[in-house]
Amino acid sequence: MLQQDQTEERLRPLMLRSLEGDSGAHRQLLEILGRYLRGYFARRMGAAAAEVEDLVQETLLAVHLKRDTYDRSLPFTPWAYALARYKLIDHLRRRSRSIQVPLEDAGALFAADDPEEGALRTDLDRLLQRLPHRQRSLIEDVKLQGLSVEEAAHKRGVTAVSARVMLHRSLKWLNQAIRDENG
Amino acid sequence: MRTADLIELLAHDVRATAPGVANRRLLAALAAGGLVTFAVVALWLRCQPLLAAAQQPWFWMKTAYTALLTVAGVASVRRLAVPGAKVGAAPVAAALIVLAMFALGAGQILSTAPAGRLALWLGQSWKICSPLILLLALPIYACLVMAIRGLAPTRPALAGTAAGFAASALAATLYSLHCPEQAAAFVATWYTLGIAAATVLGGIAGRRLLSW
Repeated sequence: MLQQDQTEERLRPLMLRSLEGDSGAHRQLLEILGRYLRGYFARRMGAAAAEVEDLVQETLLAVHLKRDTYDRSLPFTPWAYALARYKLIDHLRRRSRSIQVPLEDAGALFAADDPEEGALRTDLDRLLQRLPHRQRSLIEDVKLQGLSVEEAAHKRGVTAVSARVMLHRSLKWLNQAIRDENG
Repeated sequence: MRTADLIELLAHDVRATAPGVANRRLLAALAAGGLVTFAVVALWLRCQPLLAAAQQPWFWMKTAYTALLTVAGVASVRRLAVPGAKVGAAPVAAALIVLAMFALGAGQILSTAPAGRLALWLGQSWKICSPLILLLALPIYACLVMAIRGLAPTRPALAGTAAGFAASALAATLYSLHCPEQAAAFVATWYTLGIAAATVLGGIAGRRLLSW
C-alpha cells in the first residue's frame, strides 16, 4: 500500500504536467508506465508472453490518446490500472472466447517493473508504411532524425499546426491499425 | 519500432488539454439525442396540453419519477465512461427510487376497490407504453454510445447498461409529456418495464459497441 502511495505521488504530478503540455513529463511518465505495464502483462499472460511488448505499445498509445479522460481531481494509478486491465482483457478476448482477469487493486499494475524491452510481433514501423507519404515522412523526420514537429513541418513545407494535426491523426490511425492487425 | 522510439514519438504529440472533456461530450450527446426524441414526441405523439396538465399534480408524478432516474443514470454513465472511476451510489439511488415508486403504486392499488384495480393498473395505454419508451430511447442511446466510445470505457458491458438506463429514463421523461396516464401503479409497472428492457439491451449492445 505504502509503495503504491509512493507510485501515485511520483506519477500523478507527471500526468498533471503532461496534461498541461509538458512533453518532458509526458515522456518520463510513459517510460515509467511502460516498465510497469511490461511487468504486469508478463505476470498475467504467462504462456502468451510473446505478445507482451505489443500490448505494452498498444497500451501506451491508448494512455497517450485517451489521457484527456483522466479527471485531475482523482488519483492517477487507478485510472492507469483500469486502462491496462482493459487492454489486457481486450487483447485476450480477441484470441480466445472466455478469459478471466481478476479485478484487483491498482497496486497489481505497480507491483514490479521490468525495464527490458521484449520481442515484438507487430512492428509499428511496418504498419506506418501504410500511411500516405506525407504523414509517413513527417513521422520519420520526427522519429528517426529527432526533429521537432516544427522543424519537420518547415522541412516539408507545411505549417506547424497542420503538421501537429497530421502527427496526431497518424497516431490515432495507428491505434486502430494495431487493433485490426491483432483482431 | 522499439517501445522507446514510440514513447519519443508520442512525446512530440503533447499539447495542453482542457479539463472536462467527458462532461462536455456526454452533455452534448444527451442534448442531441434528447432533442430528436423530444421532436418525435412533440410532432408525432403530441404533448398533452401542458397548461391544463399543470393543474394536475399527478400528471407530473411520472415526469418526476423518470427525471430522478435520469439523474442517477447519467451519473453512472459519467463514471463508467472513463477508466478507474468507481460507479458510486447512483445505481443504489436508482433502485431506491424504483422501490419507492413500487410502494406508491402498490399503496394505490390496495386503496382502490377490487373491481377498479385492473383498469387502474392497465390504464388506456399499457400495451404501447413500454415499447414506445424503448423506441424513444434509441436516438439518445445512439448518441450516448458515440460519445462514450470517444472517451475510454474500460467496462463496456456496464457502461452500455448505464447508457441504456439513462437513455430510456430520459426518453420516458419526454414521453411523459404525451402520456395521459396518471396512476402510480401504471407508471411503476409499464414505465419501469420499458426502462428495464432498454437497460438490459443497452448492456448487451454495449459489450460490442463500446469496445475500442
